[in-house]
Amino acid sequence: MKLNIDGLLVYFPYDYIYPEQYSYMLELKRTLDAKGHGVLEMPSGTGKTISLLSLIVAYQRAFPLEVTKLIYCSRTVPEIEKVVEELRKLMEFYAKETEEVNNFLALALSSRKNLCIHPEEFDAVGRQVPLPAGVYNLDDLKDLGRRKGWCPYYLARYSILHANIVVYSYHYLLDPKIADLVSKELAKKSVVVFDEAHNIGKDLQRLWLSGMSEPFLAFPEGLKKDFKMSKRLEKLLFSTDNVCIDSMSVNITRRTLDRCQNNVDTLQNTIQRIKETDAAKLREEYRRLVEGLKEANVARETDVYLANPVLPDEILKEAVPGSIRTAEHFVGFLRRFLEYLKSRLRVQHVVQESAPQFLKDIFDKVCIDRKPLRFCAERLQSLLRTLEITDISDFSAVTLISNFATLVSTYSQGFTIIIEPFEDRTPTIANPVLHFSCMDPSIAIKPVFQRFQSVIITSGTLSPVDIYPRILDFRPVTMASFTMTLARTCLCPLIVGRGNDQVALSSKFETREDFAVIRNYGNLLLEMSAVVPDGIVAFFTSYVYMENIVASWYEQGILENIQRNKLIFIETQDAAETSMALEKYQEACENGRGAILLSVARGKVSEGIDFVHHFGRAVIMFGVPYVYTQSRILKARLEYLRDQFQIRENDFLTFDAMRHAAQCVGRAIRGKTDYGLMIFADKRYARADKRGKLPRWIQEHINDGSLNLTVDEAVQLSKHFLRQMAQPFSQVDQLGLSLLTLEQLESPEMLKKIAQIAHQT
Amino acid sequence: MASLSEEVLLVVKKVRQKKQDGTLYLMAERIAWGPEGKDRFTVSHSYSDIRCQKISPDGKAKVQLQLVLHTGESTTFHFANESTSRKDWEAAKELLQQLLPKFKKKANKELEEKNKMLQEDPVLFQLYKDLVVSQVISAEEFWANRLGGINNGESAACENKQEVGISGAFLADIRPQTDGCNGLRYNLTADIIESIFRTYPAVKQKYKENVPHNLTEKEFWTRFFQSHYFHRDRISTGTQDIFSECARQDEKGLKSLVTQGVKNPMVDLLSLEDKTLDEGYGISSALPSTSHASRTVKESSNFAIIKRFNHHSAMVLAAGSRKRDVPADQASETSSTDGNSRDSDFFQPPLKKVKLQEAIEYEDLQQENRPKTVALNLKKSDRYAHGPVPLQSQQYTTSQDIINSVNYIKHEMSNYKPNLTQVLSSAAASSAIAALSPGGVLMQQVAQQAINQMVPTEIQAELKHLYVAAGELLRHFWTCFPVNTAFLEEKLTGHLECMLQAAYSKFHIWQTRRMMRKT
Repeated sequence: MKLNIDGLLVYFPYDYIYPEQYSYMLELKRTLDAKGHGVLEMPSGTGKTISLLSLIVAYQRAFPLEVTKLIYCSRTVPEIEKVVEELRKLMEFYAKETEEVNNFLALALSSRKNLCIHPEEFDAVGRQVPLPAGVYNLDDLKDLGRRKGWCPYYLARYSILHANIVVYSYHYLLDPKIADLVSKELAKKSVVVFDEAHNIGKDLQRLWLSGMSEPFLAFPEGLKKDFKMSKRLEKLLFSTDNVCIDSMSVNITRRTLDRCQNNVDTLQNTIQRIKETDAAKLREEYRRLVEGLKEANVARETDVYLANPVLPDEILKEAVPGSIRTAEHFVGFLRRFLEYLKSRLRVQHVVQESAPQFLKDIFDKVCIDRKPLRFCAERLQSLLRTLEITDISDFSAVTLISNFATLVSTYSQGFTIIIEPFEDRTPTIANPVLHFSCMDPSIAIKPVFQRFQSVIITSGTLSPVDIYPRILDFRPVTMASFTMTLARTCLCPLIVGRGNDQVALSSKFETREDFAVIRNYGNLLLEMSAVVPDGIVAFFTSYVYMENIVASWYEQGILENIQRNKLIFIETQDAAETSMALEKYQEACENGRGAILLSVARGKVSEGIDFVHHFGRAVIMFGVPYVYTQSRILKARLEYLRDQFQIRENDFLTFDAMRHAAQCVGRAIRGKTDYGLMIFADKRYARADKRGKLPRWIQEHINDGSLNLTVDEAVQLSKHFLRQMAQPFSQVDQLGLSLLTLEQLESPEMLKKIAQIAHQT
Repeated sequence: MASLSEEVLLVVKKVRQKKQDGTLYLMAERIAWGPEGKDRFTVSHSYSDIRCQKISPDGKAKVQLQLVLHTGESTTFHFANESTSRKDWEAAKELLQQLLPKFKKKANKELEEKNKMLQEDPVLFQLYKDLVVSQVISAEEFWANRLGGINNGESAACENKQEVGISGAFLADIRPQTDGCNGLRYNLTADIIESIFRTYPAVKQKYKENVPHNLTEKEFWTRFFQSHYFHRDRISTGTQDIFSECARQDEKGLKSLVTQGVKNPMVDLLSLEDKTLDEGYGISSALPSTSHASRTVKESSNFAIIKRFNHHSAMVLAAGSRKRDVPADQASETSSTDGNSRDSDFFQPPLKKVKLQEAIEYEDLQQENRPKTVALNLKKSDRYAHGPVPLQSQQYTTSQDIINSVNYIKHEMSNYKPNLTQVLSSAAASSAIAALSPGGVLMQQVAQQAINQMVPTEIQAELKHLYVAAGELLRHFWTCFPVNTAFLEEKLTGHLECMLQAAYSKFHIWQTRRMMRKT
């Protein structure tokens, strides 16, 4: 269908359209017109990706000079491939409708692991060959590489510079180490889209939200109090797999230091050898270093490159300090630093300190100043270049240490150093680790905002949208939240608070080992397995908890009874084994036998796998998935939150737990034709403070009648719901409500309705 | 004879049978013995007839092998070659040990087949009772006719028939019960054993190896239930357990399943993340080590349980779909072992493409082109939601069929034209109706009651049985024509007559009995 979006001709490769998609495109168009950033929220399963692609491609065709490139960042490899396939569909539609040859080049980029075709030989041919126009998924690139004998990875890396659309993972833009290699030269006139990739849930949001720093403190005092606590918390959510934080955090163990020692020895030998053969080279380097990093500074000022947060602004203006300017001195400096770190790892108790404390200590003990530390990373790069070392990967340990040195001396805030002499589980085995954790991920994302013309943040749940700009310190031109229009109530959240014997169900610590609770949980699963068709997914709060419950269900014979109804598959800590279990689970759902998947909130399954249609007719969340609070890094993060934003730890933890619970149960509903039960099996969910933190699209379907159910009541309600949902649901039922034809779309009253969708926040 | 084309697996000379020297032949389908100097066998047993072999104990002077047949007869062979008797005997014994189970299975299968047919078909069962149990005809003759039908129809019937899967909970059905004196009783049925074998081929292998030579069936299962293999939450204590090998094999199977990887890229957690974080970066500290050394006993037993459930479910699932694609499976396995990673690359895309396409599809955004269906129109949906579910007949028509037939009927109705020239005159019609209505000319003879109300149901049933039995005999009779073989002729002249006679007399007995009871 051809749409008229605010005067722009948009080809949309479907016969029908959801009203929210139309509305979404309108807002997106406005953002691009204004060359600004945008925050757009739309629930998953409403065709966000295709709307985005349709509009931006149309825009690129209409104004080729305004927007030169689309950089689409997604999270997982399957998601990346999905985006490219949707793009291919769109391009095919274009070809069919316009009947002219398309000169669009779109490709996916992934790590070398996913693009390699000759694992044994290093093959860099194809670096400089321009790709013909077309849509290239990972497999297409591999095919092409195989036919031509080129390395697909280098081909793709070269091609993204002149491609119209690039699809890759967050890391390529946010991790300074990779961004520096891959994305540095991408054109300024690009549109960057961060998609939460519709199954990673709120990951992106967390990522961005946790970047809140000073701007929040700048709120007027009165406004701050008006904020509901939950809303404040929402912005501060973080997760352990946060890309920004990960890319800026460093762990140092004894092994790292040993390897680093070897690296330094190798460096020394190489320097010695070069000195004998080619002393001029080293002199040349010295001269360069005296001049300082002028070149990089010029580049940054003229905005040719994406900035690297590991390369702070201050050092660009200065020359490398004299103490580390010659190669030997630098190696000596590294040795001293290394010795110092070794001595720090010889602790007997846990140490936690801030970056300034660390700097003071290092100055007192080994007389290392802050300034040379700052230059460490850059100095090492220069040395490695001078020594013409080709295989950088051998020097990963020393690179890590030098990055650490630069980070710790550059950022006095937002980082914490924790030194643990042993793991908590095994206090007898000495295994000292130095954690250098990033508390403030905005450091990593700032350059992206500064560089690119339009950055679109889009996700399933971003509310409250209006706070974002203030948190992230950017001025968006559009902020909008779209709801999912539904023609029928296709989700059924139930809170089961009691067993049939009136025992209160809860996963809280005191009743964790209580047999009555475990038995009632088992009963719930058993009864549900008899009622729900096809697939059921059950989430536990942690892996250990699941292991214990499974063992106890096994002893009580509950699992065997469940097996009469469905097959049982269980997530393990081994990813390969879990993948196998997942596939078998889907097979069992597929062939009609039905299956149950026992899984863990915050686990890999809950983060990355969708259970569409019959793969997940019910999700049961056993307990409230609070994070493990004994981790020192987490504690440090909580303290940081408390000190910086006056947020109570408990509020934060509750919020985080509810977010994860919502993410788990949300796995089952992926679209308007889908339906599923969401069972929260813990009486604590019924409390207003917990319930109020669930996303709105779940909350609005929880009525008072489903707040504190027994197992039997829940089963009755489920039966009723499932029978109603099993009725045929055809397009006709949706048409005009949640699905539109072109004619319906063009009718004035519908346009009025659509205008409302965007503002129903 | 057919023996010419038979494959001879082993020839043992100087074997005595009934004090006569001769040669023992082990062939593909049977074992045979012929006296020296003659080229025909005086003893020949098909393997499927042999129930078991008995062997003389080691160290006994006479080296003997006894075959016990299903019929109860037995044949004893005495290995008389002085120098090699022990060796010959060993060889024959070994070979028989391998061959017998195969045929045993076949024999059992036939029996099972018959049993199943009788169970599934009550009429046949009644017939069997009437004819075979009362010895009107022999069982062989009864089946000769039927099984032929089975065997011919077997392939077709079997393929049409859906393979019955295994209940996921078959292990739950053998829930032990205490028998009151410190013991446990396990309920084990043939179905469960079959399920265990299908799900755990390793156990089946053990069974074949050990039963009945080393253990009786009962002992085998007792050990099975005692083994830690069955109780996975107990940690393996030693290796004397015959099932520890099974556990190892299962482990290996699971591992190979895992290493095979998943075909669907959307669920492959390994390649999910496009992660390029180097070692040492990131805040997620190293995972707690999962090596066995650091686990407590409880942890590792929990771990074993989880593993077991995953494996069990996978095996149950596989057992349901295994049978037919065994050869294909093997083929793919071999190709995957000798093929390198490159051809797995070639294999992957089609499935991956399909899955990707599925994942990006929005079915409701597209024009639907499915066959038209009739929506269920519920007046009171509550009654549907809560009411009992009536049993539906097995046959059902698709909604498309219903629509078609409705259309067809409509069409017929609209095109209906009464053919008025061919009808009866009204006078004739009304007189016919009058004659046929109760009290009319034609209805006077008939009593008001229908016959089926007059005769008690038991008599009806008995009569029906007799009728069916007689019908069966007649069928046998008629199948003899045309009489073109000696066998048929013999059958016809010989015992069929007796059979009919027997049937007739049976009927007669019944009749007189009825009369006697009446009077």
